[in-house]
Formats: sequence, C-alpha cells, structure tokens
Amino acid sequence: MKSVVENLLRARTGPMTTELVRHPSAHGLGLPQVPSRLTPVSTTRSICGFCSTGCSLNVHLDADGQAINLSPDPSYPVNLGMACPKGWEALTPLAATDRLKTPLLRNPSTGRLEPVSWEVALGAFVQNFKAVQRTHGPHSLSFLSTGQIVMEEMALLGALAKFGMGMLHVDSNTRQCMATSHVAYKQSFGFDAPPFSYADFEESDALIFIGANPCIAHPIMWQRVMMNPRNPEIVVIDPRRTETAVAATHHVPLRPKSDLTLLYGLAHLLIARGAVKREFIDAHTKNYEAFASFVDAFTPERVATETGLPVETLHRVVEIIATKERVSFWWTMGVNQGHESTRTAQAIINLALMTGNIGRPGTGANSITGQCNAMGSRLFGNASSLLGGYDFGKDSDRAHVAAILGIDSERIPSGKSWAYDQIMDGIDSGAIKGLWVIATNTAHSWINQKRFPDLRRKLEFMVVQDMYATTETAQMADLVLPAAGWGEKEGVFINSERRLGVSRKVSRAPGQALSDFAIFTLVAEAWGCGDLFRKWESPEAAFRLLRELSRGQPCNFTGIEGYDHIQREGGIQWPYPASRKSETASNSPIPPQSQRRLFSDGQFFTADKRAVFHFDEPRPMAEPPDSAYPFLLNTGRGSSAQWHTGSRTNKSDVLRKLAPVSLYVEINPADASRLGIANNDDVVVSSRRGDAPAFAVVTSTVQPGQLFMPMHFDAVNRLTFPSFDPHSRQPSYKACAVRIARTSKRHDA
Amino acid sequence: MTDPVRTLIDELIESQRRLDTPVARFAAAHDAGGAPRSQLIPLSAPGPGEQYAFQVDLDSCTGCKACVAGCHSLNGLDEEETWRDVGLVLGGTPAHPFQQTVTTACHHCEDPACLNGCPVLAYEKDPVTGIVVHLDDQCIGCSYCVLKCPYEVPKYNDRLGIVRKCDMCHGRLSAGEAPACVQSCPTEAIAIVKVSTFRSETPNPELAELSSTDSNYTRPTTRYISKNPLPANLRASDADTLRPQHAHYALVLLLVLTQLGLGLMIGSQLSALNAQPLALTGLALFTAGLVASVAHLGQPFRAWRIFLGLRRSWLSREAVLLGTAFPLLTFAALHPLIPELPFIGHWSLVIGHFAPTISIVAFLLAASGVFCSAMIYTDTRRYFWRFSQTSGRMAGTVLVAACAFVHPPLAAGVLIAKLALELSTSRGHSSSARLQQGPLHRQWGSRVIVGLLTLLLFFANHSVMGFLLFTIGELLERTLFFRAVDSPKMPGVPSV
Repeated sequence: MKSVVENLLRARTGPMTTELVRHPSAHGLGLPQVPSRLTPVSTTRSICGFCSTGCSLNVHLDADGQAINLSPDPSYPVNLGMACPKGWEALTPLAATDRLKTPLLRNPSTGRLEPVSWEVALGAFVQNFKAVQRTHGPHSLSFLSTGQIVMEEMALLGALAKFGMGMLHVDSNTRQCMATSHVAYKQSFGFDAPPFSYADFEESDALIFIGANPCIAHPIMWQRVMMNPRNPEIVVIDPRRTETAVAATHHVPLRPKSDLTLLYGLAHLLIARGAVKREFIDAHTKNYEAFASFVDAFTPERVATETGLPVETLHRVVEIIATKERVSFWWTMGVNQGHESTRTAQAIINLALMTGNIGRPGTGANSITGQCNAMGSRLFGNASSLLGGYDFGKDSDRAHVAAILGIDSERIPSGKSWAYDQIMDGIDSGAIKGLWVIATNTAHSWINQKRFPDLRRKLEFMVVQDMYATTETAQMADLVLPAAGWGEKEGVFINSERRLGVSRKVSRAPGQALSDFAIFTLVAEAWGCGDLFRKWESPEAAFRLLRELSRGQPCNFTGIEGYDHIQREGGIQWPYPASRKSETASNSPIPPQSQRRLFSDGQFFTADKRAVFHFDEPRPMAEPPDSAYPFLLNTGRGSSAQWHTGSRTNKSDVLRKLAPVSLYVEINPADASRLGIANNDDVVVSSRRGDAPAFAVVTSTVQPGQLFMPMHFDAVNRLTFPSFDPHSRQPSYKACAVRIARTSKRHDA
Repeated sequence: MTDPVRTLIDELIESQRRLDTPVARFAAAHDAGGAPRSQLIPLSAPGPGEQYAFQVDLDSCTGCKACVAGCHSLNGLDEEETWRDVGLVLGGTPAHPFQQTVTTACHHCEDPACLNGCPVLAYEKDPVTGIVVHLDDQCIGCSYCVLKCPYEVPKYNDRLGIVRKCDMCHGRLSAGEAPACVQSCPTEAIAIVKVSTFRSETPNPELAELSSTDSNYTRPTTRYISKNPLPANLRASDADTLRPQHAHYALVLLLVLTQLGLGLMIGSQLSALNAQPLALTGLALFTAGLVASVAHLGQPFRAWRIFLGLRRSWLSREAVLLGTAFPLLTFAALHPLIPELPFIGHWSLVIGHFAPTISIVAFLLAASGVFCSAMIYTDTRRYFWRFSQTSGRMAGTVLVAACAFVHPPLAAGVLIAKLALELSTSRGHSSSARLQQGPLHRQWGSRVIVGLLTLLLFFANHSVMGFLLFTIGELLERTLFFRAVDSPKMPGVPSV
C-alpha cells in the first residue's frame, strides 16, 4: 500500500525518464551506452571531414544503414577514441534545413536563383562555359576548389578540367593554408613529404611549436602531446599568449612577423655553441656552409632588437634545442600565412637538419596541415603539380601519366597554372571570364575580400558547387549545383602524417544533391569528354588509378589493396609500396608499423638524396602599422568549435554555443584604457580596405599594439592586406595595419 | 533515342540514395580492453561521509570543448540542449597574461538549491553516490530550480515542458563505464572522484574563484585542481555581458493580479460605499492571477503534487496558501449575495454569523500567500530579489490597491515609497542597475512615467483611472523584476 502511494506521488519512471535511459549496445559493438532511440544496429568507421588530424569516427547506423549518431573510434591510431566537438557534431550539418536539394539557376528576368532540373543545369553549365571559351580562349575558364573533398574527387576534377575541358589556371583553397609547406618541403626535401608520425608528439624531449595553437586548432594532436611520458619541454613561439602558450613550459612572445629573424638567430647561436651535428650535415645535406655564413649576421643583439625578445630568451630556447636528445619542430598557419612563409618554414627545416633532429623518433620539422584532405590535394589536385606529384613541364611525366589514365598525352597541358591570387588578378584583367567554385567560400575567406564582388561582376558565368546555397559565394553565383557532403559519399583523405583513411557513405543526400564525383562525371558527359574518364567509373576505381600513379614516386602506395585494406589496417601511411605489405601482418590493434616516419636512413628525395638549406634575407611586412593605422591585426582560429567560414559548423546548435556568436576583437588592457575602450564595448576596426564592427574583449593575451580577430566572421577579411609569399603564393592573413575606435559604450548609464 | 546524360542523371541520383545494408560487426575496441577512460572513475562506491564528484584538472583542460559535444551525443540530448558548458576566464599580469578554459556541468551539491526549491520533489540526492538526480516524469515544468541554482545548471526543455540536467551518467558509472564527458576528454582533464562530505572550512576555494559568485552555500562538490595557483584577478570572459532574463509573463500576471485582487478585497472591507463592486473586482483579479499561473507550468496536469514540497519549498507554500485562500475569498466576496438566494432560508443567519471570521481567515491566508510569493524570490539569494525588494514591492502592490478606492492620496503616498524602493535598484554598478539603464531602459522609462502619471491621478482623487494606470505600471514593474535580475553562473564565452 505504501509503495502504491509512493509511486503515485513520485513518478520515478515514465516516458520522459525512459527517453534518456542509457543502454549498452547490442551485438557487443563495444560502444558507450546510449538511449534506446539511438541504439545502433551496426557501426562503420569513417574519417572525419573537417581538419587534417584525420580522426576515425564510429558512425552508428540504424537498420537501413542510415547514420543516427557517432562516437570516436577507440582503435584508430590517430585519435585513440577521442574527437573534438566538430567531429562529434559531424552529422549535424548534413541535416541542416538550408541544404540545397536541386540545382539553382539565376533567372535573368527576376535576377533570382531559381530551382531547375539537372538537365537544365548541365545545359546552362556547358553552354555558358563553352561560350566563354569560344570568345576568350580555353584558358579563360578556371576553377577554385578545396581541401575538403576526397582525393578521388579532387583528381577527377583536376583531370576533367585540364584534360577534358582545356583549363590551365586552376587552384584551391589549400593555397590559403598549406601551399607554403608544400613548396618548402619540395625545395628542401625534394618532395612534399611531411616526415613525421603523430607518435613523435609522444616521443619528443622538446616540442617547439611555431605559429601553432594545437590546443584549439588540433586538439586531438594536443592529446598526443599530453600523452608524452618524457616530461618534455614545450616551447610556443607565438605573439599571442594562446591556450597552447599557457599550457607550454616556455612561451616566446615575439613581435609579429619576426619569426624568420628569430629562427636565423637560433641557428646562429646553435652554431656558436657548437651544437650542430656535423656528421649528419656532411653526409645528408648541402648548402650548409653558405647558410652558416649567412646566419653569422644574426647576432643575439640584432635578433633581440628585431623580435622584441630578451637575449636570455634566445639562449633559453637554444639551450633546450642543444641539450635535448629528441627535439621536434611543429608549425601551422602562423608560419604558412606569412609574406616570407616559405623561407620561414625552411628556417625551421634548417634547424632540424643542422641539429640532426630528423628521421629519429620524437624529432622532425613537421608541418601540421589544415584541411582534412590538404595532403590529398597536394598530391592529386592537378593544379601546380601533375597528378601524383609529377611535373607538367616534363614530356616524360606527361606521357607517363597519360599512359596510366589511357588518354592522349597531348591533352595534358605543359604550361604552369596560376595560383589563387593570380587567378583573381586574371579575372580583374579580363583573362579569366568563367569560374567554377567547388566547396569553398571565396567571398568570405579570400584576403582583402571586398574586392571579390567587383571581380564577380567581371565574370561572364560563375558556378558554385556546394552543400548550401546560403554561403556568401553561392549567393553571387549564376548557377549553383547541389553537392552531397561528407558522410554522403566515399573516398580517401590523407592526413597530416601522410595517412590514407577512408570516409564512408552513411547518410542519404537530400533531394537531388549528388556527390562531387557524380557531378564531375555528369559534367564530363555533358561536356562531351566522357570517354576520357571511362576508367573513373567509381571512387574506388579512381583510387586504383591514383595508386598506379603513385608507383615509383616517394608517395608510393601501391601496396594498398583497396578501401577495406585501409580500414583494416587503421589507415595506412605512405610510402606503402607493394613490397611492404608482407611486413604488416599483426593482430595488435595498433601495430608498430602503424606509426612510420620518413628519412630514418638520411636519404632525401632530391636527385642527390641530400636535403637542401634554403634561406633569404628577411623582408619587412607589406603593411606595417603607422600613425594612421597604428595597430597590427592578427587573425586566426577563434575556437575549436568553428571551422573556417562556418558554412557547416554554424549549422550545429551545440557548436554555436561553444564560441562567441558575433565578431569580437581582442585588445590589450593598456591600449584599451588609452582609447577609452571597456570590455564588451562596441568598436569598429578599420584598415585602408574596409571596416569591421566588433565588440571588444580586453585581455593581455594580446600584446600592446596588436589586435586579434577570429577568421570565422566574414567582416575580418575586409581588413586583411593582400600580400603573398613569392614562392608559395600563400596569402599573409596575419599582418595588416588597422585602427580601432569605440562606437558606443555597451549598455552604459 | 534516349539522352545518355539524362539516363546518367537518373542512375546517379538513384545510386546516391542507396546506402550499404549494415552488417553487425564487433568493434575491435571492446576486445582490446575496458571502455575508454574507465581508469578515471572510482573503483568502489562512496563510503559513509563521501560522495561522487567531478574533478577537473585545469592544467589539462585546454579548450577543446569535446566534453560538451560528447555529453550531447552520447546522452541523446535535443539539438540545442547541452548539460555541460565550457567558458573562459582571463587574468594575470602584463608580464604573465593568463587564460583558462573552465568546463562545468552540474556540481551535484551537498545542499542542492534545486532540490530544496522543487515544489513536487522532482529532485533526489542519491544517498550513496550523492548524485543529484532529476525525475523527469515528476517535473511540472515550473522552472523554479532554474532560478534557484546559482550555476544555471537545470535547462528548460520546450519540447517536453520540463527541465533536464546532468545526472553524472550514473547508469554508466554503475556499469563501470566513465560518464560521457570523462570518456570524451582527449586530455583526461575530467575524472570522477570520491570526496568527503564533512568539511568545515570554506568548501572548494578554486570553484569560488572561478565562478566569481558567492554561491558556495549550496556546497558544490566539483573539484578544480591546478599545479599552479590561479591568478588573483581572474574574470569570466562574459562577466560584463548583460543578459536580460526571461520575463515569465504568466508569473507577472500571477503576482500582480493576486496582489491587486487581495488589495481590492481588503479595500472593500474599509469602504462603505463601493464594498460590493470592489470585492467582486478583487475576486475576479485574484482568480485571473491563479488561472494565469497555470500557463506558466510546462506540465500543468502534474501540478496536483505541488503540496509535496511544503517542508522546504516556498513555491509549494505559496501554491497551497493561495489555493486554500481562493475558496474562502470567494465566500468572503460573495456571501452578501447569499441571503438573496430563494432556497437559502434561515441558513443565511448561520452564514452571516461565520462570515466575518471566514473573511479574516481568507485575508490572512492570502496575505501569507503573498508573503510566500516574496519569499520564493528571496530564497534564490539573488541580490536584486533580496527581502526588502521582493516584500516591499509585493506588499506595496497590495497596499496601494487597498487604498486606491478608499483614500487615493494615501495610495499615492504608498506608491511614492514603492517607486523609491524600485528606483534605488537602478543606480550604481550592479548588473540589475546596468540592465535597467542599458538593454531594458525603455521598459524602465515606461515604468517610471506610468508610475508618475498614476501619482497625479491618485492625488487628483481619480480612483478608477488611477487604479487602471497603476495596474499597467505594476505589470511593467513586475516584468522588470524578472528581466533585470542578476543571474549568477559559471564562466561563459565572450559575448555581448
């Protein structure tokens, strides 16, 4: 009786309680408990489609094979069961209400984008682009693509555009993040070959991070740093006191864009101290003597003056590099997005070479890549280098590639492609009249973005291919093609440590949206060049072509049987030539072979197998602060929950909660009080190119005279100054002159 | 002849819609060893004088925020619902700038304010683990726990009409699996530990420092640890953010109308002239207030249990007192009409005999109910809702209404005192002052103007017009009462 009354009075169970009760998964799937509504029938592994870490996600499927949830894959050697919030939320952007379901064509009478069938869309695509080419020549057509699609799609796009449609000038948004590493490695090592494995994070005695904030930009890599059992010194070279700088053992708050000088200064001190590995230098490098005499001029006093750092700081860092057995150097956008970024990256490579910190566990000059498939794009984008890392300029390379693809080698252009900024200039000059934008958001992300609407008006036809017609760029298009997103198609990504991983199709694309691969196939047919691509009948068939292209290259992965083999092995790092396969039979979940680094034999990919010291005199930044625009504006990633222009991450309520929802600017308290700016005040940040309204975040994590703004808000690139590294043509997003003024006191009496 | 492109389009669209039929597979992880992060939970249940608590290693927490997303996905929360939050604190010196991310879920307090305030006992503190569990099917959706919790932990769910909150994944814990946040943290910054519940000194100094609110009275159990002492000048990155709070219009109506109604009925006892119309109008307003209050509840059909919390919850007490007063007030207002009824006969004498007593009891109960209304808000320990403010405002409403038709200038006098009490909160640097002078300045201005016009009408002996305008002014005042309240919470991300 008592319990009857008690049950009546206290409803401990019922439908709402049941909704959240967690159950162990059936079938021994080895998954965490989830509510019964989300209990999977099975799981499949898929590589995350945001950043280059390349985490594996266990996607939970219902009985129809549709993804209903996911959890990070505990057995994958990259992420070991962890994911950042973007990975956890990877399925959410697929269900966004503004997914594009049909092609949209701009109606000339209404001026609006209106739904049309695929037949009409393809007709408009072919008719308009062919008209552009007839009037202005075949090279008047360009594409701008992305590091966000799978390797097979990139390769098909590059092949279709250059071999089928006759384009020459094509590029992708990887120019904005990774071009520098690509060029730096290619010149120094003879091939674009990041030498490291993530295991090196755990095996270093000292980790030197230059222009990198892995705590929020690559949290799963930071996880590996935290797993390092060797009690390492962690040095962070960054003008801002970032999350990573706070977590480090030493923060080196240098003046912005003085990194090249600092790195040469460190080399100078290492030589002075006799802390160079002569034996390694003599056996495996060239041009060292010239480099050594070059850095002679970078005395500690000069470097201290130019970097704003005390001389003791330089000695402290040199002490660490000189005395620690295993030193690894890691860089990201702080280096890559600079006006002399290639030489800066090579200055890092030089430090690793001269101290023999390469090819051993816990060492290396290591570029942490940005996008999930930046590395695939670098090998198979077919933009600056021919598919598979070959040279467009070499007859033998063109013939080799043409033979594998089964096409006439005359179809492969020998000319050099323009880089992203040169394509933009080409639009300005009238050389480019038709543009195809694939999975990138130029109108938001390109440097000095306010120029883009004018350029758009100069284009006769612009096509955007995206998951959403709501991006800033799609809104300006003549034709928008609805693309399937990550999770709605399959293919291979290559991560920062050269690991190939498979991304699977686990969700239905909405309406008539098609995978980029299918769209490229359709375009080829409609264009009339479908016969060239009969071998590319599916993503996996395309993969086999790319595998064949890799034969004999440093990136040789001919030992890979196919997608299932990659998944079985927990991803496979290149090189993986056919001869290697037999070594990998192992039952342990993370076989030792699953973490491989390059150059343990000191043999580099140059013709004489020697790594090259490259260097140049530092140059001043293009637009230093002056009396009219007295602040230096630094831009970068604002939080782990935001990805680039936010076209996907803004679709998740959870991710939106984890980051500021409006644009802010970080300012030092000394500057703020001098200008009468209080925390949260409305301000406007202005450069010679535009204005960006923001609210002030007063914090001493930015130095006096500097401001920081997150790149995820479109107003930021109204401010940035278009300067480019001469070797990589990568834009220098992190240095321009601005001023800041208060526009209104926030909610003040 | 068929168009090859058209055929291909159909083929590709069809193949795009095809998914692999799933085959149940064993995940390798399970064979490889325990569930992720299972070393971060205690091996045994808490003993006497102990409970489970979250422990956050600040040195390892570097801002990835995976815990929030992991909790959301593994617990199957609604799209916009999160049980864990991550904020940022800033501080340090120019030479040593400092920033720290702070992850927070429910603190599973030793003396939980949510539990103490719940009118239907929808919260339980597990006697063994100390986990504060919310009973979703018991909850009536009154949101009082949202106001009571000084950390903004319980979250109202519109779809269900109830609040939900972190339960420390107690089902996982009992199965030896780490809570979702613990197993999703890449740097092992979150762990479950056993803490002693007998502590004499100030509990949890790090938490107090990070939360920058005086909220240790609930004895939150989360431990924040760091090898280095935290800088003294830490500030939440959203400390200057002014967040106008929910207006709770149904509660505005409940409070204002029941208080006006009671006031008019008291006035009717003092007024020979207008006794009957005043009493009936008062009853009508009081009734309307009670009806409006039901609209505030997300699950009104569960509200019959509201007496359960009488021992601890001022909300239970208010509901019971106002609810009991209602039939008696009805009697008090209507009894003069009873002798007119044809069938009543000599019973009218009996009724007449008890009527004054019943009326007095009714007024006492209703006045106690109004006192409870004030205590509901005072008991949240929010500064804007301190006793002088809540009791002064609510008693003021009753008194002005009582005098409005009896002695309008006296009503004006009381209203002057009430306005002075209200205006005292709009000056200074408190968040309520800044809210009223900032984002809420229009409502604040309207309230002041309406108040001043009301004074003029009362001084001019315009009772009816004065009372109407007074009602509007009180509705504005009570809306501000909710919107301008300070709302303590753990640090958030920068926002305006």
